[in-house]
Amino acid sequence: MSTDNEPTISGPPAAGTEIETLIGSLERQRGTFAWKCGGLDAAGLRATTAATTMTLGGLLKHLALVEADYFCVKLVGRRPGPPWEAVDWESDPDWEWRTAAEDTHEMLYGLWEESVARSRANLTKALAEGDLGRSAQFAWPDGRTPSIRRMLVDIIEEYARHVGHADLLREAFDGLVGEDPPAP
Amino acid sequence: MMMTAADTPWEPPVAGTETEAVTGALDRLRWTFRYKAGGLDAAGLGKAIPSSTTTLGGLLKHLAAQEDYAFTVKLSGAPMDEHWADNGWDGDDDWEFHSAAGDSPEDLYTLYDGAVERSRARLAAILADGGLDQLVHVAWSDGRHANLRRLLMDLIEEYGRHTGHADLLREAVDGLVGEDPPAGWRR
Repeated sequence: MSTDNEPTISGPPAAGTEIETLIGSLERQRGTFAWKCGGLDAAGLRATTAATTMTLGGLLKHLALVEADYFCVKLVGRRPGPPWEAVDWESDPDWEWRTAAEDTHEMLYGLWEESVARSRANLTKALAEGDLGRSAQFAWPDGRTPSIRRMLVDIIEEYARHVGHADLLREAFDGLVGEDPPAP
Repeated sequence: MMMTAADTPWEPPVAGTETEAVTGALDRLRWTFRYKAGGLDAAGLGKAIPSSTTTLGGLLKHLAAQEDYAFTVKLSGAPMDEHWADNGWDGDDDWEFHSAAGDSPEDLYTLYDGAVERSRARLAAILADGGLDQLVHVAWSDGRHANLRRLLMDLIEEYGRHTGHADLLREAVDGLVGEDPPAGWRR
């Protein structure tokens, strides 16, 4: 079998189980997101396009927060850790988007990568203790508690949509386009 | 006024089965995409942002094609739906994206809505025969066939990403932003 055209991110298995497929799908979006945001300096991460205030740096910080919220707070009931706990979200609900402009690119890449690493460890631990039908450690305002399955599908949708934002932001900054990272 | 599930039919089940969760996610993205692309005239559907050639009209036609392709060629090996008989894909892989500029908004919305209806019926039919483990027609060059689960997850990722494009395009057209349609929204 030729591997010349194998994509860098292979995606979920062709015919895997539910867990393999959901995690493979999430990892493909994480990998694609990292590619679309990768290798830029502060100017690149602060650039925006057309009518929106969104930036790639803001996306990195926002998805680092989403990872901590989903896989730390909601999945296993732990505290989100720094820098999230010090934020007054009531008075500053868009804090992560706004403050990304003040962070260096090393801080933004590092924050997202650490958050993803912690998410992977927490999900592995949770799945070792139960299946996808297990309830998360939080409830919606109406009292219902989603399953881990529902949380995973939600974050896959969230990621894919933000990767779509990253597609257009990155194209506007330096013209990089494409669906998947190029083969090495 | 009390909000009911009928106001937000795009919400997937809270703790459903695998099939309910995956089909629910796909349908939520269809609703959201359609909301973001909805109610525009030709100028709105044809507007691009300066650095990209993508338009909402192009996305409607592209996702209509993706819907029909996924649930004919990829699912069973059947040919694409007859709606694509006069396509220009021979030598032009992006035909649907740029030819959308010559289509009326009415035609684009009708094409997309019809494709979603056909897909829902085809998916319901295959799910009546079995679950997400069943192998589908599409295969890699090494002979591995995808299962229905993988086909659906690929489409979910595709939709999510294009809905992200629609987010920024729509914001540029008329400032509409937001993650979900407002309760009670209908196309």
